[in-house]
Amino acid sequence: MTAILSLTGVVAGYGAGDILKGVDLTIEKGTITCLIGPNGAGKSTVLKTVSGLLHPREGTVVFDGDEISRLSPKARVQRGIVHVPQERSLFPGMTVTDNLLLGGYLIRDAAVVRSRLEQAWEAFPICRSRAGERAGSLSGGEQKQVELARTLILDPTLILLDEPSIGLDPRSRGIVFESIRTLSASGRTVLLVEQNARSGLAASDFGAVLESGRVRLEATGASLLDDPEVARLYLGAGASAAPSATPPLLAHDDEGMRR
Amino acid sequence: MHALVQGVILGVLTGGVYALMASGQTLIFGIMKVVNLAQGAMVIMGAYLAYQLFVSFGLDPFLAIPITTVVMFGLGVAVQLLFLRPLRRDDKSELSLLVTFAVALLLEGIMSVTWSTTYRSINTSYANSSWTVLGYQITAVRVWAFALSLLALGLLFLLLNRTRFGRAVRATVQNPESARLLGIESDRVAALGFGLGAATAAAAGSVYGLLYPFYSGSHYDLISRLLSIVVLGGLGSVGGAVVAGVIVATSSAVVAATVSPAWSEMTFFAVLILVLLVRPQGLFGTVGRGAI
Repeated sequence: MTAILSLTGVVAGYGAGDILKGVDLTIEKGTITCLIGPNGAGKSTVLKTVSGLLHPREGTVVFDGDEISRLSPKARVQRGIVHVPQERSLFPGMTVTDNLLLGGYLIRDAAVVRSRLEQAWEAFPICRSRAGERAGSLSGGEQKQVELARTLILDPTLILLDEPSIGLDPRSRGIVFESIRTLSASGRTVLLVEQNARSGLAASDFGAVLESGRVRLEATGASLLDDPEVARLYLGAGASAAPSATPPLLAHDDEGMRR
Repeated sequence: MHALVQGVILGVLTGGVYALMASGQTLIFGIMKVVNLAQGAMVIMGAYLAYQLFVSFGLDPFLAIPITTVVMFGLGVAVQLLFLRPLRRDDKSELSLLVTFAVALLLEGIMSVTWSTTYRSINTSYANSSWTVLGYQITAVRVWAFALSLLALGLLFLLLNRTRFGRAVRATVQNPESARLLGIESDRVAALGFGLGAATAAAAGSVYGLLYPFYSGSHYDLISRLLSIVVLGGLGSVGGAVVAGVIVATSSAVVAATVSPAWSEMTFFAVLILVLLVRPQGLFGTVGRGAI
Protein backbone atom coordinates (compact mmCIF):
# COMPACT_ATOMS: atom_id res chain seq x y z
CA MET A 1 0.00 0.00 0.00
CA THR A 2 1.10 3.60 -0.57
CA ALA A 3 1.10 6.22 2.16
CA ILE A 4 -1.00 9.24 1.17
CA LEU A 5 -0.43 11.17 4.40
CA SER A 6 2.43 11.14 6.90
CA LEU A 7 2.77 13.17 10.06
CA THR A 8 6.23 13.08 11.59
CA GLY A 9 7.01 14.54 15.01
CA VAL A 10 4.16 17.03 14.75
CA VAL A 11 3.91 19.50 17.63
CA ALA A 12 0.94 21.88 17.46
CA GLY A 13 -1.50 23.69 19.72
CA TYR A 14 -3.35 26.87 20.54
CA GLY A 15 -1.88 29.94 22.23
CA ALA A 16 1.16 29.01 24.28
CA GLY A 17 0.15 25.40 24.93
CA ASP A 18 0.97 22.32 22.90
CA ILE A 19 -1.82 19.82 22.30
CA LEU A 20 0.10 17.56 19.93
CA LYS A 21 3.47 16.65 21.40
CA GLY A 22 5.13 14.73 18.63
CA VAL A 23 2.52 12.92 16.57
CA ASP A 24 3.75 10.26 14.13
CA LEU A 25 1.01 8.87 11.94
CA THR A 26 0.84 7.30 8.49
CA ILE A 27 -2.36 6.93 6.48
CA GLU A 28 -2.54 4.51 3.57
CA LYS A 29 -4.17 5.51 0.30
CA GLY A 30 -7.78 4.43 -0.19
CA THR A 31 -8.36 3.35 3.40
CA ILE A 32 -10.51 4.50 6.27
CA THR A 33 -8.54 5.23 9.44
CA CYS A 34 -10.20 6.05 12.73
CA LEU A 35 -8.48 8.08 15.45
CA ILE A 36 -9.69 7.27 18.93
CA GLY A 37 -8.63 8.43 22.36
CA PRO A 38 -9.82 10.25 25.45
CA ASN A 39 -11.14 13.81 25.39
CA GLY A 40 -8.30 16.30 25.10
CA ALA A 41 -5.93 13.78 23.50
CA GLY A 42 -5.65 15.98 20.40
CA LYS A 43 -7.74 14.08 17.86
CA SER A 44 -9.43 17.16 16.38
CA THR A 45 -6.13 19.04 16.51
CA VAL A 46 -4.58 16.38 14.26
CA LEU A 47 -7.28 17.04 11.66
CA LYS A 48 -6.83 20.82 11.93
CA THR A 49 -3.10 20.41 11.43
CA VAL A 50 -3.70 18.36 8.29
CA SER A 51 -6.30 20.79 6.85
CA GLY A 52 -4.21 23.88 7.60
CA LEU A 53 -6.37 25.52 10.24
CA LEU A 54 -3.33 25.03 12.49
CA HIS A 55 0.29 25.06 11.45
CA PRO A 56 2.65 22.70 13.26
CA ARG A 57 5.30 24.31 15.48
CA GLU A 58 7.57 21.37 14.84
CA GLY A 59 7.48 18.33 12.59
CA THR A 60 6.21 17.79 9.09
CA VAL A 61 2.97 16.96 7.32
CA VAL A 62 3.54 15.22 3.99
CA PHE A 63 0.62 14.68 1.62
CA ASP A 64 0.97 12.68 -1.58
CA GLY A 65 4.74 13.12 -1.51
CA ASP A 66 4.78 16.89 -0.89
CA GLU A 67 5.37 18.65 2.39
CA ILE A 68 2.32 20.80 3.10
CA SER A 69 3.08 21.89 6.69
CA ARG A 70 3.10 25.64 5.90
CA LEU A 71 0.42 25.71 3.22
CA SER A 72 -2.85 27.63 3.71
CA PRO A 73 -6.20 25.82 4.00
CA LYS A 74 -6.97 26.99 0.46
CA ALA A 75 -3.80 25.45 -0.95
CA ARG A 76 -4.61 22.18 0.80
CA VAL A 77 -8.17 22.16 -0.54
CA GLN A 78 -6.69 22.63 -4.01
CA ARG A 79 -4.54 19.55 -3.42
CA GLY A 80 -7.59 17.50 -2.57
CA ILE A 81 -7.87 17.64 1.23
CA VAL A 82 -11.34 18.31 2.58
CA HIS A 83 -12.11 18.74 6.28
CA VAL A 84 -15.59 18.39 7.74
CA PRO A 85 -15.30 19.82 11.27
CA GLN A 86 -17.08 18.59 14.36
CA GLU A 87 -19.36 21.61 14.66
CA ARG A 88 -22.09 21.99 12.08
CA SER A 89 -20.20 23.29 9.10
CA LEU A 90 -23.07 24.22 6.82
CA PHE A 91 -24.12 27.79 6.16
CA PRO A 92 -27.52 27.76 7.86
CA GLY A 93 -29.03 30.73 6.05
CA MET A 94 -28.26 29.36 2.59
CA THR A 95 -30.12 26.71 0.65
CA VAL A 96 -28.89 23.13 0.48
CA THR A 97 -27.86 23.66 -3.13
CA ASP A 98 -25.95 26.86 -2.34
CA ASN A 99 -24.11 24.95 0.38
CA LEU A 100 -23.18 22.24 -2.09
CA LEU A 101 -22.06 24.77 -4.69
CA LEU A 102 -19.77 26.38 -2.14
CA GLY A 103 -18.00 23.05 -1.97
CA GLY A 104 -16.82 23.84 -5.48
CA TYR A 105 -15.81 27.42 -4.67
CA LEU A 106 -12.30 26.88 -6.03
CA ILE A 107 -13.46 25.18 -9.24
CA ARG A 108 -13.77 27.73 -12.06
CA ASP A 109 -15.39 25.39 -14.58
CA ALA A 110 -19.15 25.59 -14.00
CA ALA A 111 -19.76 22.45 -16.05
CA VAL A 112 -17.51 20.43 -13.71
CA VAL A 113 -19.32 21.77 -10.66
CA ARG A 114 -22.68 20.94 -12.24
CA SER A 115 -21.62 17.42 -13.06
CA ARG A 116 -20.33 16.83 -9.53
CA LEU A 117 -23.52 18.31 -8.12
CA GLU A 118 -25.40 15.63 -10.05
CA GLN A 119 -23.10 12.98 -8.56
CA ALA A 120 -23.65 14.36 -5.06
CA TRP A 121 -27.42 14.31 -5.63
CA GLU A 122 -27.17 10.70 -6.72
CA ALA A 123 -25.09 9.66 -3.71
CA PHE A 124 -27.16 11.67 -1.24
CA PRO A 125 -30.74 11.91 -2.57
CA ILE A 126 -31.79 14.15 0.30
CA CYS A 127 -29.72 16.93 -1.24
CA ARG A 128 -31.97 16.86 -4.29
CA SER A 129 -35.26 16.46 -2.45
CA ARG A 130 -34.45 19.34 -0.06
CA ALA A 131 -32.45 21.38 -2.58
CA GLY A 132 -34.22 24.70 -2.10
CA GLU A 133 -34.59 24.54 1.67
CA ARG A 134 -32.42 26.46 4.08
CA ALA A 135 -29.71 24.17 5.43
CA GLY A 136 -30.40 25.38 8.97
CA SER A 137 -33.90 23.90 8.81
CA LEU A 138 -32.64 20.32 8.29
CA SER A 139 -32.24 17.79 11.10
CA GLY A 140 -28.77 16.94 12.42
CA GLY A 141 -28.55 13.72 10.41
CA GLU A 142 -29.72 15.44 7.24
CA GLN A 143 -27.20 18.23 7.71
CA LYS A 144 -24.42 15.69 8.11
CA GLN A 145 -25.42 14.07 4.83
CA VAL A 146 -25.29 17.47 3.11
CA GLU A 147 -21.82 18.03 4.61
CA LEU A 148 -20.63 14.70 3.23
CA ALA A 149 -22.25 15.42 -0.14
CA ARG A 150 -20.45 18.76 -0.24
CA THR A 151 -17.10 17.02 -0.02
CA LEU A 152 -17.92 15.22 -3.28
CA ILE A 153 -18.13 18.49 -5.21
CA LEU A 154 -14.37 18.86 -4.80
CA ASP A 155 -13.69 15.23 -5.70
CA PRO A 156 -11.17 15.06 -2.86
CA THR A 157 -8.33 12.61 -2.35
CA LEU A 158 -8.40 12.81 1.45
CA ILE A 159 -11.48 13.45 3.56
CA LEU A 160 -11.06 14.46 7.20
CA LEU A 161 -14.17 13.82 9.28
CA ASP A 162 -14.39 15.07 12.85
CA GLU A 163 -17.00 13.28 14.94
CA PRO A 164 -19.42 12.71 12.05
CA SER A 165 -21.91 10.83 14.23
CA ILE A 166 -22.00 13.17 17.19
CA GLY A 167 -25.49 14.10 18.30
CA LEU A 168 -27.19 11.81 15.78
CA ASP A 169 -29.86 9.22 16.47
CA PRO A 170 -28.92 5.56 15.76
CA ARG A 171 -30.63 5.51 12.35
CA SER A 172 -28.85 8.67 11.19
CA ARG A 173 -25.57 7.30 12.57
CA GLY A 174 -26.03 4.20 10.44
CA ILE A 175 -26.66 6.29 7.34
CA VAL A 176 -23.60 8.43 8.01
CA PHE A 177 -21.26 5.45 8.48
CA GLU A 178 -22.68 3.82 5.37
CA SER A 179 -22.01 7.07 3.51
CA ILE A 180 -18.42 7.07 4.77
CA ARG A 181 -17.92 3.54 3.45
CA THR A 182 -19.37 4.67 0.11
CA LEU A 183 -16.92 7.57 -0.04
CA SER A 184 -14.04 5.19 0.64
CA ALA A 185 -15.24 2.59 -1.85
CA SER A 186 -14.80 5.17 -4.61
CA GLY A 187 -11.06 5.26 -3.88
CA ARG A 188 -10.92 8.17 -1.48
CA THR A 189 -8.95 8.11 1.75
CA VAL A 190 -10.82 8.90 4.94
CA LEU A 191 -9.29 9.98 8.26
CA LEU A 192 -11.97 9.87 10.88
CA VAL A 193 -12.12 11.09 14.47
CA GLU A 194 -14.88 9.38 16.38
CA GLN A 195 -15.89 9.55 20.02
CA ASN A 196 -18.12 6.55 19.40
CA ALA A 197 -14.97 4.46 19.06
CA ARG A 198 -16.66 1.09 18.54
CA SER A 199 -18.71 2.32 15.55
CA GLY A 200 -15.74 4.23 14.18
CA LEU A 201 -13.34 1.30 14.34
CA ALA A 202 -15.94 -1.08 12.95
CA ALA A 203 -16.28 1.11 9.88
CA SER A 204 -12.51 1.54 9.46
CA ASP A 205 -9.65 -0.41 7.93
CA PHE A 206 -7.18 0.98 10.43
CA GLY A 207 -7.28 2.68 13.80
CA ALA A 208 -4.89 4.70 15.89
CA VAL A 209 -5.02 5.47 19.59
CA LEU A 210 -4.06 9.01 20.49
CA GLU A 211 -3.22 9.78 24.08
CA SER A 212 -1.82 12.98 25.59
CA GLY A 213 -0.83 14.35 22.21
CA ARG A 214 0.99 11.26 20.93
CA VAL A 215 -0.02 8.21 18.90
CA ARG A 216 0.33 5.25 21.25
CA LEU A 217 -0.87 2.52 18.98
CA GLU A 218 -1.70 1.88 15.34
CA ALA A 219 -3.39 -1.28 14.12
CA THR A 220 -6.16 -2.57 11.95
CA GLY A 221 -9.61 -1.53 13.07
CA ALA A 222 -10.53 -5.14 13.78
CA SER A 223 -7.42 -5.69 15.93
CA LEU A 224 -8.16 -2.65 18.06
CA LEU A 225 -11.76 -3.78 18.48
CA ASP A 226 -10.51 -7.17 19.69
CA ASP A 227 -7.87 -5.75 22.01
CA PRO A 228 -9.09 -6.12 25.60
CA GLU A 229 -7.06 -3.17 26.89
CA VAL A 230 -8.38 -0.86 24.17
CA ALA A 231 -11.86 -2.24 24.77
CA ARG A 232 -11.57 -1.56 28.51
CA LEU A 233 -10.26 1.96 28.08
CA TYR A 234 -12.05 3.30 25.04
CA LEU A 235 -14.85 1.02 23.90
CA GLY A 236 -16.94 0.93 27.05
CA ALA A 237 -16.38 -2.79 27.76
CA GLY A 238 -16.29 -4.34 31.22
CA ALA A 239 -16.90 -2.82 34.63
CA SER A 240 -14.44 0.01 34.19
CA ALA A 241 -15.85 0.98 30.85
CA ALA A 242 -15.44 4.73 31.13
CA PRO A 243 -11.94 5.92 30.32
CA SER A 244 -10.17 7.32 33.33
CA ALA A 245 -8.91 10.91 33.24
CA THR A 246 -5.36 9.72 32.71
CA PRO A 247 -5.50 6.25 31.19
CA PRO A 248 -2.31 4.23 31.50
CA LEU A 249 0.03 4.08 28.58
CA LEU A 250 -0.82 1.32 26.12
CA ALA A 251 2.47 -0.49 25.79
CA HIS A 252 1.63 -3.95 24.58
CA ASP A 253 2.14 -5.16 21.02
CA ASP A 254 -0.48 -7.68 20.04
CA GLU A 255 -0.66 -9.43 16.71
CA GLY A 256 -1.92 -7.07 14.03
CA MET A 257 -0.43 -4.00 15.67
CA ARG A 258 1.71 -1.88 13.42
CA ARG A 259 3.79 -0.44 16.26
CA MET B 1 -53.75 63.36 9.53
CA HIS B 2 -52.15 65.37 6.75
CA ALA B 3 -49.05 65.95 8.87
CA LEU B 4 -48.87 62.24 9.69
CA VAL B 5 -48.97 61.15 6.04
CA GLN B 6 -46.49 63.87 5.09
CA GLY B 7 -44.21 62.57 7.86
CA VAL B 8 -44.50 59.00 6.59
CA ILE B 9 -43.62 60.07 3.03
CA LEU B 10 -40.62 62.05 4.22
CA GLY B 11 -39.53 59.25 6.58
CA VAL B 12 -39.69 56.49 4.00
CA LEU B 13 -37.72 58.55 1.47
CA THR B 14 -35.07 59.43 4.08
CA GLY B 15 -35.06 55.88 5.43
CA GLY B 16 -33.83 54.55 2.10
CA VAL B 17 -30.74 56.73 2.38
CA TYR B 18 -30.08 55.64 5.96
CA ALA B 19 -30.53 52.04 4.88
CA LEU B 20 -27.80 52.48 2.28
CA MET B 21 -25.45 54.05 4.84
CA ALA B 22 -26.10 51.33 7.40
CA SER B 23 -25.92 48.42 4.95
CA GLY B 24 -22.17 48.92 4.54
CA GLN B 25 -21.64 49.08 8.26
CA THR B 26 -23.61 45.95 9.02
CA LEU B 27 -21.85 44.14 6.16
CA ILE B 28 -18.48 44.96 7.71
CA PHE B 29 -19.67 43.73 11.10
CA GLY B 30 -21.01 40.54 9.56
CA ILE B 31 -17.75 39.68 7.84
CA MET B 32 -15.21 40.84 10.40
CA LYS B 33 -17.15 41.29 13.66
CA VAL B 34 -15.84 44.85 13.64
CA VAL B 35 -18.06 47.75 14.72
CA ASN B 36 -16.80 50.32 12.24
CA LEU B 37 -16.98 53.68 14.00
CA ALA B 38 -15.49 55.29 10.89
CA GLN B 39 -18.55 54.55 8.74
CA GLY B 40 -20.06 57.98 9.46
CA ALA B 41 -16.78 59.70 8.58
CA MET B 42 -16.64 57.69 5.37
CA VAL B 43 -20.14 58.90 4.45
CA ILE B 44 -19.06 62.51 5.05
CA MET B 45 -15.88 61.90 3.06
CA GLY B 46 -18.07 60.63 0.22
CA ALA B 47 -20.18 63.78 0.52
CA TYR B 48 -17.07 65.97 0.32
CA LEU B 49 -15.78 64.11 -2.74
CA ALA B 50 -19.14 64.57 -4.48
CA TYR B 51 -19.12 68.23 -3.41
CA GLN B 52 -15.64 68.77 -4.85
CA LEU B 53 -16.50 67.09 -8.15
CA PHE B 54 -19.62 69.26 -8.36
CA VAL B 55 -17.79 72.50 -7.55
CA SER B 56 -14.71 71.83 -9.70
CA PHE B 57 -16.23 70.08 -12.70
CA GLY B 58 -19.95 70.68 -12.38
CA LEU B 59 -20.49 66.94 -12.12
CA ASP B 60 -23.90 66.03 -10.74
CA PRO B 61 -23.56 64.19 -7.38
CA PHE B 62 -25.55 61.24 -8.73
CA LEU B 63 -23.24 60.96 -11.72
CA ALA B 64 -20.23 61.32 -9.40
CA ILE B 65 -21.13 58.14 -7.55
CA PRO B 66 -19.20 55.75 -9.85
CA ILE B 67 -16.07 57.83 -9.17
CA THR B 68 -16.53 58.33 -5.42
CA THR B 69 -17.39 54.68 -4.80
CA VAL B 70 -14.22 53.52 -6.55
CA VAL B 71 -12.08 55.98 -4.56
CA MET B 72 -13.71 55.03 -1.26
CA PHE B 73 -13.51 51.33 -2.07
CA GLY B 74 -9.76 51.75 -2.39
CA LEU B 75 -9.65 53.72 0.87
CA GLY B 76 -11.64 51.02 2.65
CA VAL B 77 -9.35 48.25 1.42
CA ALA B 78 -6.33 50.30 2.51
CA VAL B 79 -7.79 50.88 6.00
CA GLN B 80 -8.44 47.17 6.41
CA LEU B 81 -4.99 46.17 5.22
CA LEU B 82 -3.11 48.81 7.22
CA PHE B 83 -5.03 48.99 10.47
CA LEU B 84 -7.39 46.06 10.91
CA ARG B 85 -5.60 43.07 9.38
CA PRO B 86 -2.69 43.32 11.85
CA LEU B 87 -5.23 43.08 14.70
CA ARG B 88 -6.72 39.90 13.22
CA ARG B 89 -3.28 38.41 12.77
CA ASP B 90 -2.32 39.18 16.37
CA ASP B 91 -5.68 38.00 17.69
CA LYS B 92 -6.47 41.45 19.09
CA SER B 93 -9.69 42.13 17.21
CA GLU B 94 -11.27 43.60 20.34
CA LEU B 95 -9.11 46.69 19.73
CA SER B 96 -10.85 47.28 16.40
CA LEU B 97 -13.36 49.63 18.06
CA LEU B 98 -10.54 51.96 19.09
CA VAL B 99 -8.80 51.61 15.75
CA THR B 100 -11.88 52.47 13.70
CA PHE B 101 -12.53 55.45 16.00
CA ALA B 102 -8.96 56.57 15.33
CA VAL B 103 -9.60 56.18 11.60
CA ALA B 104 -12.72 58.36 11.99
CA LEU B 105 -10.65 61.05 13.71
CA LEU B 106 -7.97 60.78 11.04
CA LEU B 107 -10.55 61.22 8.27
CA GLU B 108 -12.11 64.12 10.17
CA GLY B 109 -8.69 65.77 10.41
CA ILE B 110 -8.03 65.30 6.69
CA MET B 111 -11.45 66.73 5.82
CA SER B 112 -10.98 69.70 8.19
CA VAL B 113 -7.63 70.55 6.65
CA THR B 114 -8.82 70.09 3.07
CA TRP B 115 -12.24 71.70 3.19
CA SER B 116 -12.11 73.67 6.50
CA THR B 117 -14.81 73.24 9.14
CA THR B 118 -17.52 75.43 7.65
CA TYR B 119 -20.76 73.84 6.53
CA ARG B 120 -21.00 72.89 2.86
CA SER B 121 -23.99 71.91 0.78
CA ILE B 122 -24.42 70.73 -2.79
CA ASN B 123 -26.89 73.06 -4.48
CA THR B 124 -27.92 71.51 -7.77
CA SER B 125 -30.43 73.08 -10.15
CA TYR B 126 -33.10 70.71 -8.90
CA ALA B 127 -32.30 71.14 -5.19
CA ASN B 128 -35.43 73.15 -4.50
CA SER B 129 -37.86 71.59 -6.97
CA SER B 130 -40.76 69.61 -5.64
CA TRP B 131 -44.04 68.03 -6.70
CA THR B 132 -47.44 68.19 -5.08
CA VAL B 133 -49.25 64.86 -5.19
CA LEU B 134 -52.76 64.66 -3.70
CA GLY B 135 -51.94 67.66 -1.57
CA TYR B 136 -48.66 66.25 -0.25
CA GLN B 137 -45.39 67.90 -1.07
CA ILE B 138 -42.59 65.67 -2.30
CA THR B 139 -39.17 67.16 -2.94
CA ALA B 140 -37.48 65.94 -6.10
CA VAL B 141 -34.09 65.52 -4.53
CA ARG B 142 -35.46 63.13 -1.88
CA VAL B 143 -37.22 61.05 -4.51
CA TRP B 144 -34.03 60.77 -6.54
CA ALA B 145 -32.04 60.04 -3.39
CA PHE B 146 -34.49 57.29 -2.46
CA ALA B 147 -34.40 55.84 -5.97
CA LEU B 148 -30.61 55.90 -6.02
CA SER B 149 -30.48 54.20 -2.62
CA LEU B 150 -32.84 51.47 -3.82
CA LEU B 151 -30.72 50.99 -6.92
CA ALA B 152 -27.51 50.77 -4.88
CA LEU B 153 -29.08 48.36 -2.41
CA GLY B 154 -30.38 46.28 -5.33
CA LEU B 155 -26.90 46.09 -6.79
CA LEU B 156 -25.53 45.12 -3.36
CA PHE B 157 -28.18 42.41 -3.12
CA LEU B 158 -27.24 41.05 -6.55
CA LEU B 159 -23.55 41.16 -5.66
CA LEU B 160 -24.12 39.22 -2.45
CA ASN B 161 -26.56 36.70 -3.88
CA ARG B 162 -25.60 36.17 -7.50
CA THR B 163 -21.82 36.30 -7.59
CA ARG B 164 -18.99 34.06 -6.48
CA PHE B 165 -17.61 36.85 -4.29
CA GLY B 166 -21.03 37.37 -2.74
CA ARG B 167 -21.30 33.67 -1.88
CA ALA B 168 -17.87 33.89 -0.26
CA VAL B 169 -18.96 36.92 1.78
CA ARG B 170 -22.17 35.26 2.93
CA ALA B 171 -20.34 32.07 3.79
CA THR B 172 -17.74 33.98 5.81
CA VAL B 173 -20.47 35.82 7.69
CA GLN B 174 -22.37 32.64 8.54
CA ASN B 175 -19.51 30.29 9.35
CA PRO B 176 -15.98 31.70 8.97
CA GLU B 177 -14.07 28.52 9.83
CA SER B 178 -16.12 26.40 7.48
CA ALA B 179 -15.61 29.00 4.75
CA ARG B 180 -11.83 28.74 5.19
CA LEU B 181 -12.05 24.97 4.95
CA LEU B 182 -13.69 25.31 1.54
CA GLY B 183 -10.80 27.43 0.28
CA ILE B 184 -12.32 30.86 0.86
CA GLU B 185 -9.60 33.29 1.91
CA SER B 186 -11.10 35.15 4.84
CA ASP B 187 -8.42 37.86 4.79
CA ARG B 188 -9.21 38.68 1.17
CA VAL B 189 -12.95 38.63 1.81
CA ALA B 190 -12.43 40.92 4.82
CA ALA B 191 -10.41 43.46 2.80
CA LEU B 192 -12.84 43.49 -0.11
CA GLY B 193 -15.80 43.51 2.27
CA PHE B 194 -14.45 46.54 4.11
CA GLY B 195 -13.89 48.20 0.74
CA LEU B 196 -17.46 47.39 -0.23
CA GLY B 197 -18.71 48.92 3.05
CA ALA B 198 -16.74 52.09 2.30
CA ALA B 199 -18.09 52.15 -1.26
CA THR B 200 -21.68 52.07 -0.01
CA ALA B 201 -20.74 54.90 2.36
CA ALA B 202 -19.50 56.89 -0.65
CA ALA B 203 -22.74 56.32 -2.57
CA ALA B 204 -24.74 57.32 0.49
CA GLY B 205 -22.43 60.31 1.02
CA SER B 206 -23.25 61.77 -2.41
CA VAL B 207 -26.93 61.55 -1.54
CA TYR B 208 -26.40 62.86 2.01
CA GLY B 209 -24.60 65.90 0.61
CA LEU B 210 -27.64 66.65 -1.55
CA LEU B 211 -30.07 66.39 1.35
CA TYR B 212 -28.22 68.03 4.24
CA PRO B 213 -25.52 70.63 4.85
CA PHE B 214 -22.44 68.94 6.31
CA TYR B 215 -19.01 69.62 7.76
CA SER B 216 -16.14 67.44 8.89
CA GLY B 217 -17.65 66.84 12.35
CA SER B 218 -21.05 65.74 10.99
CA HIS B 219 -20.02 62.12 11.32
CA TYR B 220 -20.58 62.14 15.10
CA ASP B 221 -24.34 62.63 14.67
CA LEU B 222 -24.39 60.16 11.85
CA ILE B 223 -22.57 57.30 13.54
CA SER B 224 -24.93 57.23 16.54
CA ARG B 225 -27.89 56.90 14.15
CA LEU B 226 -26.16 54.29 12.04
CA LEU B 227 -25.30 52.21 15.09
CA SER B 228 -28.95 52.37 16.19
CA ILE B 229 -30.08 51.15 12.78
CA VAL B 230 -27.51 48.36 12.60
CA VAL B 231 -28.31 47.09 16.09
CA LEU B 232 -32.05 47.38 15.51
CA GLY B 233 -31.86 45.46 12.23
CA GLY B 234 -29.67 42.77 13.75
CA LEU B 235 -25.88 42.92 13.64
CA GLY B 236 -24.64 41.58 10.33
CA SER B 237 -28.02 41.56 8.57
CA VAL B 238 -28.13 43.76 5.46
CA GLY B 239 -31.85 43.15 5.04
CA GLY B 240 -32.34 44.07 8.69
CA ALA B 241 -30.46 47.33 8.20
CA VAL B 242 -32.75 48.27 5.32
CA VAL B 243 -35.92 47.58 7.30
CA ALA B 244 -34.55 49.27 10.43
CA GLY B 245 -33.42 52.31 8.43
CA VAL B 246 -36.91 52.83 7.07
CA ILE B 247 -38.54 52.20 10.48
CA VAL B 248 -36.45 54.65 12.48
CA ALA B 249 -36.40 57.36 9.81
CA THR B 250 -40.17 57.11 9.36
CA SER B 251 -40.82 57.13 13.13
CA SER B 252 -38.53 60.11 13.52
CA ALA B 253 -40.19 62.05 10.69
CA VAL B 254 -43.69 61.24 11.94
CA VAL B 255 -42.82 62.42 15.45
CA ALA B 256 -41.27 65.59 14.01
CA ALA B 257 -44.36 66.28 11.93
CA THR B 258 -47.01 65.41 14.53
CA VAL B 259 -45.43 66.11 17.93
CA SER B 260 -42.33 68.28 17.75
CA PRO B 261 -39.03 68.27 15.88
CA ALA B 262 -37.37 68.48 19.32
CA TRP B 263 -38.46 64.89 20.04
CA SER B 264 -37.57 63.60 16.62
CA GLU B 265 -33.92 62.82 17.34
CA MET B 266 -34.83 60.83 20.42
CA THR B 267 -37.18 58.62 18.42
CA PHE B 268 -34.22 56.77 16.91
CA PHE B 269 -33.15 55.55 20.31
CA ALA B 270 -36.63 55.08 21.77
CA VAL B 271 -37.52 52.68 18.92
CA LEU B 272 -34.22 50.90 19.40
CA ILE B 273 -34.74 50.37 23.13
CA LEU B 274 -38.33 49.20 22.68
CA VAL B 275 -37.41 46.62 20.07
CA LEU B 276 -34.37 45.37 21.96
CA LEU B 277 -36.51 44.79 25.05
CA VAL B 278 -38.52 42.29 23.02
CA ARG B 279 -35.82 41.03 20.62
CA PRO B 280 -32.31 41.53 22.05
CA GLN B 281 -30.72 40.22 18.83
CA GLY B 282 -32.51 42.89 16.75
CA LEU B 283 -35.18 42.41 14.10
CA PHE B 284 -33.28 40.04 11.81
CA GLY B 285 -30.26 39.13 13.90
CA THR B 286 -29.43 35.64 15.06
CA VAL B 287 -28.33 34.72 18.57
CA GLY B 288 -25.33 32.72 17.40
CA ARG B 289 -23.91 32.98 13.94
CA GLY B 290 -24.32 35.93 11.60
CA ALA B 291 -27.03 36.34 9.04
CA ILE B 292 -26.94 38.06 5.72
